[in-house]
Amino acid sequence: MIKIFIDKDPVEVEEGTTVLKAAERAGIHIPHLCYHPAFPPEGSCRMCLVEIEGFPKLELACSTVVKKDMKISTKSERVVEARKAVLEFLLAEHPLDCPICDKAGDCKLQDYYDEYGLFESQFKEVKEKREKKLKIGKTLILDQERCILCTRCVRFLREVTETQELGVFHRGVHSSVNIYDGATVVNNYAGNLAEICPVGAITDEDFRFKTRSWFLEKRESICPLCSRGCNILIEYHPGFARFEVPKKVYRIKARENPEVNGFWICDRGRYGYSYLEEGRADQIILNKIDGENVLTWENISEYLGEKIKRLYSAKKATGIALILHTWLSNEELFLVHKIFKEDLKVEKIFFADPPQIEADGYLLTSDPSPNIRGALEIGFDIKTVDLDALADGTDFLLAFGPFLSGLFSLGDLKEALDKIKGKVLFSYYSNELNSLFDIVIPVALIAEKAGSLTNVDGIVQSFQPALEPPGESLPEWKVLADLGKKLGIDSKFFEKFTSPDAILGEMGKKITFFQEKE
Amino acid sequence: MSLEFSEKAKKKIEEIVARYPQKEAAILPVLHVTQQEFGFISAVQEKIVAKVLGIKPIRVRELVTFYTMLTRESLGKYHIQVCTNLSCHLLGADNFVDYLVDKLGIQPGETTPDKKFTLSTVECLGACERAPCMMINFNYYGDLDPKKVDEILDNLK
Amino acid sequence: MKEKVLTEHFGLENLYKIDVYQKQGGYRATEKALKKMSPEEILEEVKKANLRGRGGAGFPAGVKWSFVPPTDKPRYLCVNADEGEPGTFKDRYIMSHNPHMLLEGIIITSFCVGINAAFIYIRGEYEAIALRLEQAISEAYEKGFLGKNIVESGFDLDVYVHRGAGAYICGEETALLESLEGKRGNPRLKPPFPASVGLWQCPTVINNVETISNIPHIILNGAEWFIKKGLPKDGGTRIFGVSGMVKNPGIYELPLGTSLKDIIFKHAGGMKEGKKLKAVIPGGMSAPILTADEIGIKMDFDSLVEANSMLGSAAIIVIDDKTSILDVLKVVTKFYSHESCGQCTPCRIGNSWINKIVKRIAEGKGKKEDIDSILRLASNIEGNTLCPLGDAAAMPILSITKKFRKELESHL
Repeated sequence: MIKIFIDKDPVEVEEGTTVLKAAERAGIHIPHLCYHPAFPPEGSCRMCLVEIEGFPKLELACSTVVKKDMKISTKSERVVEARKAVLEFLLAEHPLDCPICDKAGDCKLQDYYDEYGLFESQFKEVKEKREKKLKIGKTLILDQERCILCTRCVRFLREVTETQELGVFHRGVHSSVNIYDGATVVNNYAGNLAEICPVGAITDEDFRFKTRSWFLEKRESICPLCSRGCNILIEYHPGFARFEVPKKVYRIKARENPEVNGFWICDRGRYGYSYLEEGRADQIILNKIDGENVLTWENISEYLGEKIKRLYSAKKATGIALILHTWLSNEELFLVHKIFKEDLKVEKIFFADPPQIEADGYLLTSDPSPNIRGALEIGFDIKTVDLDALADGTDFLLAFGPFLSGLFSLGDLKEALDKIKGKVLFSYYSNELNSLFDIVIPVALIAEKAGSLTNVDGIVQSFQPALEPPGESLPEWKVLADLGKKLGIDSKFFEKFTSPDAILGEMGKKITFFQEKE
Repeated sequence: MSLEFSEKAKKKIEEIVARYPQKEAAILPVLHVTQQEFGFISAVQEKIVAKVLGIKPIRVRELVTFYTMLTRESLGKYHIQVCTNLSCHLLGADNFVDYLVDKLGIQPGETTPDKKFTLSTVECLGACERAPCMMINFNYYGDLDPKKVDEILDNLK
Repeated sequence: MKEKVLTEHFGLENLYKIDVYQKQGGYRATEKALKKMSPEEILEEVKKANLRGRGGAGFPAGVKWSFVPPTDKPRYLCVNADEGEPGTFKDRYIMSHNPHMLLEGIIITSFCVGINAAFIYIRGEYEAIALRLEQAISEAYEKGFLGKNIVESGFDLDVYVHRGAGAYICGEETALLESLEGKRGNPRLKPPFPASVGLWQCPTVINNVETISNIPHIILNGAEWFIKKGLPKDGGTRIFGVSGMVKNPGIYELPLGTSLKDIIFKHAGGMKEGKKLKAVIPGGMSAPILTADEIGIKMDFDSLVEANSMLGSAAIIVIDDKTSILDVLKVVTKFYSHESCGQCTPCRIGNSWINKIVKRIAEGKGKKEDIDSILRLASNIEGNTLCPLGDAAAMPILSITKKFRKELESHL
């Protein structure tokens, strides 16, 4: 560590770091447009100029490496004037169409103008005419007039995807980002371009003209669509009462995590967010129920407990079968393991996950479920459902997840399930599968609950609820913890499980893999 | 894509590529050969060059649009490039361009209908001591005046 | 006549052929350097000679070479023959008249720095000269001055000619490297400097044609002799290129420190018939303009810096009183706007913006505030760009606008 001075304040920073990063760590944002932490400094936008004692010229914060006792001024008059000058240049050839620009509210050019400028444009000349609506990808539109030539997009396609669909053509003021003769950006990471574009040059039709970014609430979560566990931001409109705008998720963005996904997410994760809202189950469905009149979240575990206890004798439960899936959190799988495998000695445990997909060699894995590794580490043997084995001698089936219908036809499922007397399903969705069960309990998705997941590389990542679960839906871990108590086999063990954190703490004690991973 | 390099050009390209530790470095020299061979570098030629060097065609386009000597359109048999930079300007380059415009009946950037001449104005050619100067294909001509230009152009078949 | 160093034998017929060159003592420097001197001794001599770069920036060549770090990576020499600074044509003369002198410089420089491959990056328009260089190179191979085991010294060197394709910016050393690697000529951020991270990420020396051409003379005659040809801090002669409204435009090899007045009126024969001197650009278009009153100045690095101008490429453009300064400004701003690579904001947009204003004034639509706008915009480019092209544009624009403000205002 070395000491430097930023705006007269001493700051301890890592040797070899840049002025920009050092300032960021000290809580000082130095404006920048072309710099992106994923790439080496480009130095072309000239927004990050700072004054350094002993240097005759202003220097780039993005590329200048700190030296011991360096005295850096990030807001001196000279610096502010230089930033203003850069902004004035950028805005001179910019269309200034913020009112119809989707980036408004998220735009760095707009933010910096607000911070440094608010000057009147002196540009009285004719602006260069360029392409305003160039389709450069399945959902991507490039507006060359808004482009400030930071080349983040070009560098992303050169360095990250190595697909090179975009390039810079022509030179000087005529320089423009372009595709090659209509050959659009075709790769599973195209959506990142709209996100790394610091201005409104690349916009995404998936979002374009649908809402304004300042209405959106941003929540952290983890993408469940494969076993990578990419860190994401879910952006949703909380809804307006007056004009009856409903609550709705508008987009998913990448959230930085150097260990897992860097700065990126794949298009499957970015655009596949309809699973969050479409066809959700929001109330408990009672298709067939014996005895009880009403079933609610309060008495569901008691009901299940009674069912199970009837099948439990000689320290063993017979006639019980379980279908699990790996969208369940570590904590939920751990509770299932404890209750059904360790305490009840249930043998028929199957998994029903979405079918395998093709990995893309970068972030997207071939497992379209987020927690296979977790299930393995907890001690499950992941066996896919075998309908004959499932139905054979089974009196009571406790099934989790909606994925059975992706594995079998409804007819085959019905035939098998008809042989089983009692059937309960925990599902996210309201669909035909539900009609085959006596009771369907709506549950929260990963985005709607707390817990942790273990990704393909064994990294355990905790998450908090980003969204409210719909209607009566609640997370499975609550029912499971309650059920554990109600069963009365090892009640005390379950008493302390008032949160996923507490469960993960216990897991650390029992399973070596989870030690120090809470 | 039926177009291909001639055997001679292929040999030349091979020789050029061998000079560099990285193939991509050969791109400008190869583009010179390409332009000589085909007269211009359009998408078809870009793709041939890209293939030869094992790069994406977009990389070739990035260069063709950057370097002013590379042309994407077919030019006349004789490409007249008149310097209009300062030393030539001082000695009447503008009048000289006007003279050529009148004589050839085309504006800078245009080609005569018989495809014989293309007229361009360019930045400094590095022959300022012979201002006003011009280049016809790769031949330099300096100390120009209308009479001299008439002679030069009349001698071009 | 013994004043001349580089151009001494230029009058000789067929000097570009190796036999003629050798008859004049050619390749003796190579023999001496490779057989009798160590790389350290050569470096010491070049450093002592205070040979400053002839491309424009004037950085001492020996110091530049000494920045090359000891690594296992290959090292490269790039000879900057991308002569594009308006008004400059001296390297064209050197290469077409005496290509072997340049090759000797290349051989000795490469031997000194430990380089086995050199590239001459020559502007694309100089096709005929590129061919002449290639011819000279093959002659040198034949005679054993290039290739393996040069003059039986055990030293190997290959030299290649690489033609540019029309981009002023490629004369900037890092843009030259990018271009040579097969990319757009976008300058690189510095540091790292090419001496440590250059061509293909390897240590690279980049020197101008005239700079390198001085090397054989320093080796043969010694640093002291060289310094006497020029100034103590600035050794050797300089090839001044004179163009514009003078009787005898051309190259003039003269000692550094010769007055601008003498160059124009003695050597270049004075103004053309009936023309009066109005202004001079003393060091290529990027050098701030001097008025007729300022031509008493001595032509060396320091004197010109003192006069807020620069020696640059020593290209002198003489402007007469009948030339409209607005036209000059139009040519200047059009050039930089056309030649900006477009990579960094102030240069890309600033130069185009200024050119748009000047064109509007020339169309008779000038406004009162335009002159101040030009000054403000040029000041905002100056010092704020990624590479020196921003300054190269701002300096002449600022000096022309300030020194001839009255005349420019008369067009509003």
